[in-house]
Amino acid sequence: MREKVVIALAAAAALLLAYNLYQIFLVLPDEALQGGIYRIIFFHVPAGIVGMIGFFIALTFAVWYLVSGDLRHDSLSASIVEVSVVFTTVNIVTGSIWARIIWGAWWVWDYRLTSQLVCALIFFGYLLLRRAIDEPTQRARLSAALTIFGCVDSVIVWKSIEWFRNNHPGPVLTIRTGGGHMDPAMEHTLSLNFLAILLVGAALALVRMRQESTAREIDSLRRAAHV
Amino acid sequence: MNFVLQAFAVARKDLAIELRTKESLNAAGSFAIVILLLFSFAFDPGSDETREIGGGLLWIVFAFAGALVFNRSFARELPNECLDTLLASPLSAASLVIGKSLANWVTLLVVEFVSLFVFGIFYNVSWVAHLAPLAAVFALATWGVSILGAIFGAITVNLRLRELMLPVIIYPLMIPLLIGAIELTRMILNNEPASPEELLWGRILIVFDVVFTSLAVILSDTILVN
Amino acid sequence: MEARNFTFMFYGFLAAWLIVLLYVVSLARRGTRLAKELEDVKQLVSKRD
Repeated sequence: MREKVVIALAAAAALLLAYNLYQIFLVLPDEALQGGIYRIIFFHVPAGIVGMIGFFIALTFAVWYLVSGDLRHDSLSASIVEVSVVFTTVNIVTGSIWARIIWGAWWVWDYRLTSQLVCALIFFGYLLLRRAIDEPTQRARLSAALTIFGCVDSVIVWKSIEWFRNNHPGPVLTIRTGGGHMDPAMEHTLSLNFLAILLVGAALALVRMRQESTAREIDSLRRAAHV
Repeated sequence: MNFVLQAFAVARKDLAIELRTKESLNAAGSFAIVILLLFSFAFDPGSDETREIGGGLLWIVFAFAGALVFNRSFARELPNECLDTLLASPLSAASLVIGKSLANWVTLLVVEFVSLFVFGIFYNVSWVAHLAPLAAVFALATWGVSILGAIFGAITVNLRLRELMLPVIIYPLMIPLLIGAIELTRMILNNEPASPEELLWGRILIVFDVVFTSLAVILSDTILVN
Repeated sequence: MEARNFTFMFYGFLAAWLIVLLYVVSLARRGTRLAKELEDVKQLVSKRD
């Protein structure tokens, strides 16, 4: 049943992506000030947002694990963190490439890039922690604790670095500015690509979670056989 | 009240051990001085710009020295199953964490003031006039660092590669704290007049301390359960 | 400038897809490894019994 869900998600994502790529490359015009490079935004921004949302969804499942003790919640939390780290990396790398053209430097210590990097590092540490613990219950407990610390800290990181540094482009999406800053056609494509990337993320997380349950099955078989 | 007494008991025990062996103090202190020495080769130490980067330099030194202190903090409980004994005792997990954090805090503060003294000499920066505000910043920021070190010391104590995992995990988490401490130290050393910016960073330090101490107390049972 | 702009846009898209592709490949490899391990352990258990 789950395979079917994953395939359905992946297929929907593929269709959306194909449509969006067509829009991005063949329909939408170049941006007035930036030229062609702006098209990166269609992957850069959704990847970043999906990554951030992912960390907080993982937080929910981490807390749920601590309450319920069901290891499946831990598996889901870990899978979502892993996928979110991948998307945050995409966000950072594409942002860096865009910055090279627009700002002339591969890396600029502005607050959004820096905060994303810090979040990526925090949760990369999470992935390292999980690899270092073999016992599943202990791993789940300690991962949940780190997820809670990581998410709370991410909020503080974002706010504090925002006060500390600031030269990223300001908000242009309608939900933050109330309209008028971005061409509606572009914004429409951006939203559609956000959906596409969310679907990809969900599919990947489900696949990863399936692997986690296989690992648990192996673990319990080994223990039953005293291997 | 019981909780406070228990935490102080743990802190007193750790500090007594530390005073007797001085292992963390020596290690962290020498490490800090060596780094200050190394950095003196990285740029011109006597110039004016030293006061600009002084804050950053000091807090990087403190963060690295802190890692040594935090690693020892729980690791010293491993031989002879001391950690299991502590957990089996009537001590609450939270008081254990807070107690260890207190001990780390005191140890790290000692290292910091020694480093400040050496820094003033090596880099020709006068700080004696600013001792009070500096002490306040050091105290606040060091508490944040210590509580993170204590709780993550507990998390990583039984892992292989503990000495590597602990810094890798806590440094990104500490970043808002370090930024605040660095900015405040820089402003103090540069003699800048009190500004709303200073208040802002001070508030961030306090928020960080309160939030993470609360989280540590709430999660200590989850992390230290046997 | 136009050509450079376009080249970098291409790099950007390439980077995004490559990162995700690398992750998918690593997932696939982990999947096959786990499946094989499961088979091995199942065989081990059935041989014992």
